[in-house]
Amino acid sequence: MFAAQTARLRYFLHPYGLKATGSRLGRASIITVLTTAVFILDTVTDLEIATAVFYIVVILIAIGMFRRRGVILLSIVCIVLTLCSALLTRSGSYEAGLINSGISIAAIAITTWLALKMIAAESAAHEARAQLIRIARINSLGELAASIAHEVNQPLAAIATSGDACLRWLAAEPPNIDRARLAAGRIVDDANRAGKVVARVSEHMRGEVAETREMSLNDVVLEAVALAQSEIDRNGVALRLDLTDALPPILGDPVQLQQVLGNLILNALEAMADLPAPRRSLDLRTWQDDTTVRLCVKDAGIGIREDHLPLLFDSFWTTKAGGTGMGLAICRTIVEAHGGEIRASLPGPAGMEIHVGLPARAGS
Amino acid sequence: MTDEIDPGELPPVVRIVDDDASVRAAIEDLLASVGLDARSFASTRAFLDSGMPDAPGCLVLDVRMPGQSGLEFQRQMAALGISLPVIFITGHGDVPMSVRAMKDGAIEFLMKPFDDQALLDAIHSGIGRDRLRRAFESEITTLQARHRELTLGERAVMESVVKGLLNKQIAGLLGVSEITVKVRRRQVMLKMGATSLPQLVRIYDLIAPGREVGQTPGVEPGS
Repeated sequence: MFAAQTARLRYFLHPYGLKATGSRLGRASIITVLTTAVFILDTVTDLEIATAVFYIVVILIAIGMFRRRGVILLSIVCIVLTLCSALLTRSGSYEAGLINSGISIAAIAITTWLALKMIAAESAAHEARAQLIRIARINSLGELAASIAHEVNQPLAAIATSGDACLRWLAAEPPNIDRARLAAGRIVDDANRAGKVVARVSEHMRGEVAETREMSLNDVVLEAVALAQSEIDRNGVALRLDLTDALPPILGDPVQLQQVLGNLILNALEAMADLPAPRRSLDLRTWQDDTTVRLCVKDAGIGIREDHLPLLFDSFWTTKAGGTGMGLAICRTIVEAHGGEIRASLPGPAGMEIHVGLPARAGS
Repeated sequence: MTDEIDPGELPPVVRIVDDDASVRAAIEDLLASVGLDARSFASTRAFLDSGMPDAPGCLVLDVRMPGQSGLEFQRQMAALGISLPVIFITGHGDVPMSVRAMKDGAIEFLMKPFDDQALLDAIHSGIGRDRLRRAFESEITTLQARHRELTLGERAVMESVVKGLLNKQIAGLLGVSEITVKVRRRQVMLKMGATSLPQLVRIYDLIAPGREVGQTPGVEPGS
């Protein structure tokens, strides 16, 4: 379990626009080893041998893990190293060395250019996919709301109409008490029926944990961060990860928990949208508290009014202009289905903290 | 609006089609409380199978039902020979849906839960429209029956008269004496119940071949 180290690595790398996650640590070391190897080889071999061309392998490996600035930085390093090798190498023809270095530098530059194009295409695809997920979420929510509205509206319509009929029977001269009583009876029945619909919906919303497996909360956090990385970068938010090493595993549905994390991160980013860029920061912290694994998502955003805190996780409650008011309600539904708890607090004059606690897997 | 029932006119029957039993019962009871007779059905299929009572009325139709939707049914009604005015009730309607329903001739498009007075107003307006249509259709039926009573000679004279021909011209056209034309013309006026030539022309227009029976006279939509 080296998630914590990875996390710290991420934190240090982030300001330079580098992108690394746990599974990519291996590749980072491969790049370092390869770069050093090519440099040594290039330096010890004759000037006639263009070993520096192999720097393109380093660039190609870097495509998948570094962002734009990282790749540019790496290619500059490679070019500088090529020139250093050429200067350090004593054996071989000077002219051949000049030409070979030129060829190597051209190869590195061309590869970098292609790599940058690939990264741009990849991030465009990522953006499109994220957009699609958002749309799908809103659509399914709309359909759900429409079907609930229909289910609840039927008894409501019957109640209103029966109530009107009841009043008319009572207003008749002489009042028709028997018919009025029948109408009132129907109102009670229909109200009970509406109540059952609502109960069924909330039962459905409470949901079941679809797939349960053992996992580390740190991994869930890192995967959610990776998914939201482009949004985090776009908003210029400084991400701080403080993930406690060797957390006990939790049992749950990784997709659902990732959804929770994704939602919390996106909310935090939205809350900081109006802040000057240097003040935008997002803290993700995990730690163990007895038999509970805890997570805290802290932003420096606008926060909410203190008296709104208890409403935060209610369905359809939102302070956002285009919000559905379902995001945090779904988060709570998922966390509670995992036997956990979620709450919000206001840490100080600015920002907000969302605390999630999940039970650690028993016997570990 | 009050219910003025003609001596020869049957009391109206409101038909309700909604898949929800509570809604049906509630509307039936509401109508009973204002003295309106109603019959309700769980689906458009059940409504069609029930047969049509010969009474004026209107159709309160739910939009969203399992099986055939109310909007689909509205579009098929003309082909099925059902000319009842339609009032839609729906749990979740949108603007395009209501526009389409109104364009297809619906009287009202009400969202559930609806105001009882709005429903009753729409129902009264629908019954009024249906009465007008029925009166118009029965007038045509009567006139057609009278027209059938005419002899072939009288019919020929009638057709020429409404075209504006003079007795002399008609006599020449049909090859009979002017006296005969005058006698037949008098018979036509009597049998068709017309007191003037313009009235006879109007009657002829109503029963003229090619004229579609069942067309409603100028009732303002949504009135």
